[in-house]
Amino acid sequence: MIYADVALNAVVVAILLDLYLLRSQMMTRKIFWKTYFLILPFQLLTNWWLTSNNIVMYSESEIIGTRVAGAPLEDLLFGFSMILLTLSCWEFFAKRLTPDKVIK
Amino acid sequence: MAQFQYLMVLGFIGSCAVLVNFGFKLSISSKWKLFLMTDAVILTLYLAWDFWAVSKASWFFDQEQTLGIYVFSRLPIEEILFFILVPLMVVLTYLALIKLSKPSNTAKY
Repeated sequence: MIYADVALNAVVVAILLDLYLLRSQMMTRKIFWKTYFLILPFQLLTNWWLTSNNIVMYSESEIIGTRVAGAPLEDLLFGFSMILLTLSCWEFFAKRLTPDKVIK
Repeated sequence: MAQFQYLMVLGFIGSCAVLVNFGFKLSISSKWKLFLMTDAVILTLYLAWDFWAVSKASWFFDQEQTLGIYVFSRLPIEEILFFILVPLMVVLTYLALIKLSKPSNTAKY
């Protein structure tokens, strides 16, 4: 399994957790996509910062080779899965900690 | 100064977090418990992934540009900070957008 495989799996797992286990269903909410697309340019900026200075380096045999803002394309999948899972967990725990304050 | 390169990236993300938190009056500190629970999940899953990937050299870090403090004997301490600061910034962005979309409703969140 190279980075691409793991990153794709991470996206699938994050989506399944969000929709069926945590049931926050962030994927279906406009505010999630707004948040994602606001963060994306900042991810590209920090990706470029980390990779163009060789702070983080990737084995060529572990990535498919397409790069976006200096970082492997796979990093966008990694980032998406983490943003989705973070917000899905946040809503999941928010419902349980403060059941009266849930925003729908 | 080279050893602070990765830390500077984290400093940038942290500064954004402080600015958004105070700029939008989000008082994230009052939701520390919620954030801790959320980040515990992220830290567990993503550090495991990171550990595995670094072990098989999918990616690696420049020793000259990191502090040289390692967790689990192979992850630069900066990686742990990364998986705290980035989820924090994600949550802050989300809360700021909620606040923007409901300017009159400041009681919730």
